[in-house]
Amino acid sequence: MERYETQAVVIGGGATGAGTLRDLSLRGIKSILIEKDDIASGTTGRNHGLLHSGARYAVKDLESARECISENRILKKIARHCIEDTGGLFVTLPEDDPVYHNELLEGCKISDINAREISIKEALRLEPNLNHNILSAIWVPDGTIDPFRLAASNILDAKEHGAGILTHTMVTGLELKSGGNIVRAADEKGNQIEIRCDLVINAAGVWGQHVCSLGGIELKMFPSKGSMLIIDYRINNIVVNRCRKPSDGDIIVPGDTVSLIGTTSREIDYSRIEELRVDDDEIDVLLEDGEKLIPNVSKTRALRAYCGVRPLVAISGETMGRNISRGIVLIDHSERDGAEGLITIAGGKLMTYRLMAEMTADLACSKLGTGGRCRTAKTPLPGSEKKISERKNVRAFTGISQSVVGSTLYRHGLRVQDILKRDKKNYRLICECEMVTEGEAEYAIKKLDVKNIIDLRRRTRIGMGPCQGELCAYRSAGLFADFGIYRPEKSIELLYNFLEERWKGIKPVLWGDGLRESEFTYWIYEGLLGIGEIKFDDDPGDGDGV
Amino acid sequence: MAYDCIIIGGGLSGLTCGIKCAEDGLRTAVISSGMNSLHFSSGSIDVFGYRQGGGKVYRPFDYMKETAKSNPAHPYSRIGSRMVRESLEFFNDQISLAGISLHDNGDENHFRITGLGVMKPTYFSQDSVFNDKFKKAVEERASIAVLNFDGYRDYYAELTVSQLRKNPIFKRTGIITGKVTLPFYTRTEKNLHEFRSIDLARVFDTEKYLPRIAEEIKRAARGARVVSLPAFIGIDNFAQIHKRLEDLTGCLIYEIPSLPPSILGLRLDNALRSRFAALGGEYSGGDRVNGGEIMDGELDHIHTENYGDTRHRSRFYVMSTGSFFSAGLRSGFNMLDEPVLGLRFSGSNRRSDWYSAKFFDRKGHPFLKYGVETNKYFNPFGSDGKAVKNLFCTGAMLSGYDPIREGSGGGVAISTGYFAAKRIIGEMKKNK
Amino acid sequence: MIKLENISFDHCIKCTVCTIYCPVARVTHLFPGPKQSGPDAERLRIKNPGLVDESLKYCTNCKRCEIACPSDVRIADIIQDAKWKYVKKGFFRPRDFFMSRTDLAGSLGTIFSPLANFLFSFFPVKILMDLFLKIPYKRSYPAYERGTFRRKFKKLAARQKTFEKKAVYFHGCYVNYNNHSLGTDLVRVMNAMGVGVELVREKCCGVPLIANGYLEKAKKNALFNISSLSGAAAGKGLKIISTSSSCTYALKHEYSHLLDMDNTGIYNSIEYVTKFIFDRFEEGARPPLRPVSIRAAYHSPCHLERLGGVMYTIDLLKKIPGLDLIILHSECCGISGTYGFKREYYQISQDVGYQLFRRIEEADPEIVITDCETCRMQIEMNTKYRVMHPVSVLAMALGDER
Ligand SMILES: Cc1cc2nc3c(=O)[nH]c(=O)nc-3n(C[C@H](O)[C@H](O)[C@H](O)COP(=O)(O)OP(=O)(O)OC[C@H]3O[C@@H](n4cnc5c(N)ncnc54)[C@H](O)[C@@H]3O)c2cc1C
Ligand SMILES: Cc1cc2nc3c(=O)[nH]c(=O)nc-3n(C[C@H](O)[C@H](O)[C@H](O)COP(=O)(O)OP(=O)(O)OC[C@H]3O[C@@H](n4cnc5c(N)ncnc54)[C@H](O)[C@@H]3O)c2cc1C
Ligand code: SF4
Ligand code: SF4
Repeated sequence: MERYETQAVVIGGGATGAGTLRDLSLRGIKSILIEKDDIASGTTGRNHGLLHSGARYAVKDLESARECISENRILKKIARHCIEDTGGLFVTLPEDDPVYHNELLEGCKISDINAREISIKEALRLEPNLNHNILSAIWVPDGTIDPFRLAASNILDAKEHGAGILTHTMVTGLELKSGGNIVRAADEKGNQIEIRCDLVINAAGVWGQHVCSLGGIELKMFPSKGSMLIIDYRINNIVVNRCRKPSDGDIIVPGDTVSLIGTTSREIDYSRIEELRVDDDEIDVLLEDGEKLIPNVSKTRALRAYCGVRPLVAISGETMGRNISRGIVLIDHSERDGAEGLITIAGGKLMTYRLMAEMTADLACSKLGTGGRCRTAKTPLPGSEKKISERKNVRAFTGISQSVVGSTLYRHGLRVQDILKRDKKNYRLICECEMVTEGEAEYAIKKLDVKNIIDLRRRTRIGMGPCQGELCAYRSAGLFADFGIYRPEKSIELLYNFLEERWKGIKPVLWGDGLRESEFTYWIYEGLLGIGEIKFDDDPGDGDGV
Repeated sequence: MAYDCIIIGGGLSGLTCGIKCAEDGLRTAVISSGMNSLHFSSGSIDVFGYRQGGGKVYRPFDYMKETAKSNPAHPYSRIGSRMVRESLEFFNDQISLAGISLHDNGDENHFRITGLGVMKPTYFSQDSVFNDKFKKAVEERASIAVLNFDGYRDYYAELTVSQLRKNPIFKRTGIITGKVTLPFYTRTEKNLHEFRSIDLARVFDTEKYLPRIAEEIKRAARGARVVSLPAFIGIDNFAQIHKRLEDLTGCLIYEIPSLPPSILGLRLDNALRSRFAALGGEYSGGDRVNGGEIMDGELDHIHTENYGDTRHRSRFYVMSTGSFFSAGLRSGFNMLDEPVLGLRFSGSNRRSDWYSAKFFDRKGHPFLKYGVETNKYFNPFGSDGKAVKNLFCTGAMLSGYDPIREGSGGGVAISTGYFAAKRIIGEMKKNK
Repeated sequence: MIKLENISFDHCIKCTVCTIYCPVARVTHLFPGPKQSGPDAERLRIKNPGLVDESLKYCTNCKRCEIACPSDVRIADIIQDAKWKYVKKGFFRPRDFFMSRTDLAGSLGTIFSPLANFLFSFFPVKILMDLFLKIPYKRSYPAYERGTFRRKFKKLAARQKTFEKKAVYFHGCYVNYNNHSLGTDLVRVMNAMGVGVELVREKCCGVPLIANGYLEKAKKNALFNISSLSGAAAGKGLKIISTSSSCTYALKHEYSHLLDMDNTGIYNSIEYVTKFIFDRFEEGARPPLRPVSIRAAYHSPCHLERLGGVMYTIDLLKKIPGLDLIILHSECCGISGTYGFKREYYQISQDVGYQLFRRIEEADPEIVITDCETCRMQIEMNTKYRVMHPVSVLAMALGDER
């Protein structure tokens, strides 16, 4: 049994938890974050990473719209390397109700979102792959946001300000008493951990219901599943929204080297949130609707499909997934349930994580009676300290391929300086699709709380390209052994788990070149290497999306 | 008629067939659109490695006989174990004429060591992968050094050894790992990331570094009698290089296949293609057959991408265009077919039937069994339901077997290709 | 709308077989190979053109990667395209300009041929060219003939009308300016098979223009050729034949793949000459052939490999009685059009060809046969052997009937 003591424990390593941990740390509050799996392994890593301009909400939910645009502006400054300022379009198709177009423009005006109608010609120039039959287009300041990087750099900054983090550690018990709460947790090997703290912050997203129940408190979550599809490459360079009432398959978001078609919305029972899967008919819907926005997209290679659960808190009795407000829910359980030391933060959006963290930390500080003012709206995340000049950085690393420097820079911002040293490691690619060098993998494994290949993927994009881990999985497994992180047996097990995890997202879109690729991968690992014949002690763990 | 036989697809199956036809004096051409799957294989030829319900096969030909009745649609059941055996002997002879010597255990399988240290049953392996000296050395518990090269990412000796040590056969054997540094590896060079098996194989092929590499191997082996290296000790002259390395180091040297591209497979491919050319076969590597016309149960002509409408004619045709991987079979969103001639296909059109829930499910994946359906002579069926008598389908494109689960890919490719060649030769004689 | 023909990289399954067969990646680490420069990098370049790595300029466009690819990825096209789309090019590049205007240089060269040939072989001139134009002084240049092939053809034209069967001959710059005898050999061979030859108006096929980034000019030429050829040949159901594998490849594939031109009107009519001969022979129009007792080594050019046409040339050569034929291992000679004429690539070009030269020397034939004019230059410069076109060898077998 390991025992720790701290001021605050944050449960959940999604964007919200990570942001809260950082905010607390910047204010000088000693905190530890506990995450049952990996950073951004929950809903944070399973959405389409849209940096909303707020336009999507401008017709029906002005509050959300305003939150979005204000956070949109902040994040573009403090999280440069996690964000791409792509811009977005709302396009009306012949079958869509043209009235929505005006409502949207009107709503944007009220919410101070800089939206403007543009000509069809202009829209097609911005996005040549767009359906040529659109009737009208509105430009909005949408962008994209990489959730993995966002969460990881929040954690990195928090750690650099003294915070602690335990990943792959599950909170199993909460003892909420005034004068000292106890959080019990267990890691994957079964080691028990006990943390005594003044304050527990429940940032466990949709699992917040369960976390509350550990402390004997009832909080009802309303899970709504959304599925998305990843396309092999970046078919659009600007976010494309369908200009109609929110419904299935109405957005295509570029994200790093790929594009995502999103999303569906299906009510599910809370008991099923651990066994989510993408249904075949959801794929049909996404491809069919995606095809309307960008013709021929269904003939390109779909890399994988995955789904997430919207962490909506059912405060009132609403039942429809999209009509429930995505508003931020901050609960001080002392008022509600008499639990002095518990705060729950839920709802909201990925891109409002900072605001949510600020609200939470404000409440925490007032409860603890210490801590300074929030600085996160101004202080850039590690890697985003300065405006990043690609040209200058590329030149600084002559000798390394430009595509490697550019890709690493894109992923780690200015921290590229710590990664691409003039070392042979950086001339060796581990992942050839996404240009991840051995140096980058080493940095991630040693500095960014990577515990297995699945985590490594979230930090570096290893295995996220078209081959989905065909060669890089083996190479990464070797690295874990090479760096002395794990025994070789364990490394092989990581490899096995990684490939099983990838399979979850591949099999719903198994056709065409994806099927060929899978046949190849299967030949390599089963035929050539015989991994299926190896007996491991434990079962493969759970994994996730993107 | 220009050709006696046009073979579509120059893989293991098509080339075996082509060699047999050409050897018999038939005017034979192979048209192939890309490199075949030997380039990614282990370089060992699996004949029958795993039993249906699980467990390993030790005597593949016996197992063939045993299952012939219960599994009549299996290509082996149609060919018969005698002819499968004959085809493998033919293959072995041809390969050895091209300078590669293959190891086999007669009636029995042997076990090759994989990069993850698993022992996989197979029938033919190149001498540098498995031979009797190796067997003896292991029985004598000779010490083994499993080595890798500095900077080579496609193989990790530690992973191999971790599983080998668990294997009862190596229980009391001393196994160590080590790294060999190549003489020029001290330079940091741009694009060194293309440091693949093929680049290293070329280093060996130039031979000028061999003495220094041998020194390095000796140092890393620390006195072990048996040394294993990732499989890239040369392409063209590998037999001599292998021997020279053994002489220079005084160790027995073996190869363990690493990630693709497979040098072991490349050697086989080179060997097959050079045999085919030596026997007068014509090979075209840059074109894809994209259609043809079946009339009255006969394939009349085919056409290719680069020659548009031009018709290519031959008396007989063989299709060995491989599985989905090689584009011999095609899958789409809720459809499966054979893309060139639309031959009758065996497999479910419902996507969710194609795969198993787990990637490494013990039962494998159903789609690997899918393929073209044929009669017992390997004539496929056209859209009119009639068997196409002058067309044979062979190799990985066939349905009715799972090359990975059964460990039978190479054997089926060779034996079906050989079978088709024999049928064609027989028919040609009859017609004369 | 996504243009499916432009996203062949989407089919890449990362098997790496292209890199095995790339002759440039074999000899230099400066080039990361077709997989990385092609489909891998294309995804990145689409995301952000700034991610282009200039190392792709080392690709010679030999297309061996495409032959190897089991996924129909048009790797070399992707690289060629990216070269000019994403890499900044200088405004005025005198050498590239000069080199890519084979027709301009040719018409000047043929007018002043003795002078031009003398100058280009004159050492101080070569040094100057090396210094100012970055053309390695070790290179020798193709000699220019006096006058053009088209002029010469006028004398033969009358006879061509007497044949019932006809074909259009796209002679290209090389025959027109540097090698008239190949053109006349072709006419003899065709006539012997009972086929009359027609010429139509043509411009340089555009290969050197594409290779040097003059895409607009190449497009103009392509447009001219397509309309000229489709009117005169395809429209009348005549085949268009060429004695240059690279011209054939450009007319057939690069016009649509790289220049985005619609060449469907001529696609089915274009044939490399040996395939045409193969078909005529099969139809029974095989003229009597005299033995040609020569020991010859055949080298297959990359672009003919890509066309899937090598087997027809080999077949033709095998039909020539007495010809003692050695078929050389199929590999790139390294010259790749204008590539080997540039100083920065000279060494790579030589290294690529080295094995071929060695194998030719080992075979020690009396002549080398190859289908491509630049292969010929490269081999003649690096070995002591004379190089002939298969059609010229066939013409030898026809005997003298002039
Ligand atoms: C389909 C879909 C699309 C979306 N698209 C967008 C978008 O484009 N833009 C946008 O801004 N937002 C989007 N969202 C919303 C956004 O994803 C979420 O609001 C946000 O990610 C929530 O983050 P979180 O940190 O609160 O929750 P989570 O990311 O779910 O984090 C909770 C964490 O707690 C951990 N945890 C749970 N139980 C325990 C325990 N007992 N012990 C320890 N740890 C535990 C979990 O493992 C998890 O990592 C989308 C949501 C969905 C479902
Ligand atoms: C990655 C991989 C690894 C393997 N490893 C092993 C192993 O270790 N041991 C073993 O015994 N078996 C192995 N196999 C099994 C393999 O299927 C067989 O061994 C054998 O190589 C199959 O030969 P084939 O000739 O039927 O097909 P392939 O080798 O697949 O050849 C088919 C050829 O046809 C060409 N082609 C396809 N369509 C056309 C067309 N329309 N026109 C012209 N050409 C066309 C393709 O480009 C290809 O060159 C492996 C298979 C794969 C895919
Ligand atoms: S075209 Fe030739 S040089 Fe260029 S990448 Fe392909 S194989 Fe290499
Ligand atoms: S050969 Fe084709 S499929 Fe294989 S890596 Fe190269 S481009 Fe990709």
